[in-house]
Amino acid sequence: MTHESTVTHDAIDEMLFAYFRPVPAGADLGRRVLDRLRDGWDPERFAAQVAFEASGRGISLVRPGGRARPPVSRAAKRLIDRARQELFDYLEGRRAFFSVPVDFSSARPFQRKVLELTHRIPFGETRSYSWIARTIGLPDARRAVGTALGRNPVPILVPCHRVLRSDGGLGGYAFGLDMKSRLLGLESSTPVLEGCTTTGIVCRVGCSAGGRMRDDHRVVFATVADARSVGYRPCKVCRPAA
Amino acid sequence: MITERALMRRVAEGDAQAFTELVSRYSARLLTFAWRLLGNRADAEDAVQRALMRCYTSATRYRPDWAVSTWLYRITTNICVDELRRRTSRSALRRAAESEAGNGQAVLLPAGDGGPAGPGRHLDLRRALARVPREARVLLALRYVDGLSYQELARVRGISLNTVKSQLARGKSILRAALKGRGRRRAPAQAAAAVTTKGAER
Repeated sequence: MTHESTVTHDAIDEMLFAYFRPVPAGADLGRRVLDRLRDGWDPERFAAQVAFEASGRGISLVRPGGRARPPVSRAAKRLIDRARQELFDYLEGRRAFFSVPVDFSSARPFQRKVLELTHRIPFGETRSYSWIARTIGLPDARRAVGTALGRNPVPILVPCHRVLRSDGGLGGYAFGLDMKSRLLGLESSTPVLEGCTTTGIVCRVGCSAGGRMRDDHRVVFATVADARSVGYRPCKVCRPAA
Repeated sequence: MITERALMRRVAEGDAQAFTELVSRYSARLLTFAWRLLGNRADAEDAVQRALMRCYTSATRYRPDWAVSTWLYRITTNICVDELRRRTSRSALRRAAESEAGNGQAVLLPAGDGGPAGPGRHLDLRRALARVPREARVLLALRYVDGLSYQELARVRGISLNTVKSQLARGKSILRAALKGRGRRRAPAQAAAAVTTKGAER
């Protein structure tokens, strides 16, 4: 056997060790991290200030602050409590979807179409105003789309922050542009699939079953197939494969 | 030297100096790990910074039954894997956008960013690693950047010891085959060994 032309176990080990040999990081990394943490944003306070209104069918109004009308029924109150909790989890990076229903019945047909389509833009992705206009079959209605989203009665739950200008500009936002970019940043750093190390089940982040998971039992996966390949199975409640 | 668990206690109390000390102990390894997985330094730095932010803010929830290194690698791996997910779901969109804009070379192929360790062989290895399934690649990276034991790897990814072993063996056999495909030969005995380990998976 000619050893020179053979990639043996050891040779591969050696190559891997060389490839993964640590490269020095900047000396001030710790300080930069601490700077990034000094932000002053408090999701809990924000979620507590948001005003919600609900009909019996779903959340009908979300506003940055101010007074909301008192809930019209027990069911409405439950929906509002649930929305506030989901909003808090979302802002904390522990939820990648909202399950609380929304009620568009006060919207006119055009706005309703726009809102319903926007509601389906996946977490962590963005679309343009003109994409919405084209998709609802009114390619010239870009501005009207902007107006309809500007009057979105249920921002965040209907993610109008995921709609940007075609040139990459942010467009507008009811909670302010800072908030729009904060939400986009948040969504680009929140995982979507996580497994529980004790049950071996993989869930969408925010699944009611996954909410009880202890922090050090959470393992993030890139795809359901990846999770399966190391022995996890998808959750039957939130159905991450679908 | 102060132990790492003691350091973590001080970090949990909000001691910034303890935090920078902890960071300086791990920064090179975490950065290399993230860099090799994500393919470029900028994304790797961002991922490591986010991981360290998480480490700082959840230090109070750190449980001393974890080795600090294992806990740090768990946090960093979670963030890197999610970043890889984002790329797979975005790449189709982005490819379309890039071909429109006419700069198709962007982030998808981190060519020429192999780090100081160098050219030639590393390029081969990087291409070969790209063929290894994600979970196995993550395990290989953890294993070779810091020599984590099978137990530690199992804990970082929340998988069984047997899965760790079979994934590593499979990853290596794919590497071997890929490197052999680039003009090298492999000893027959090892070819047989590779098949057996793969078969032992189930």
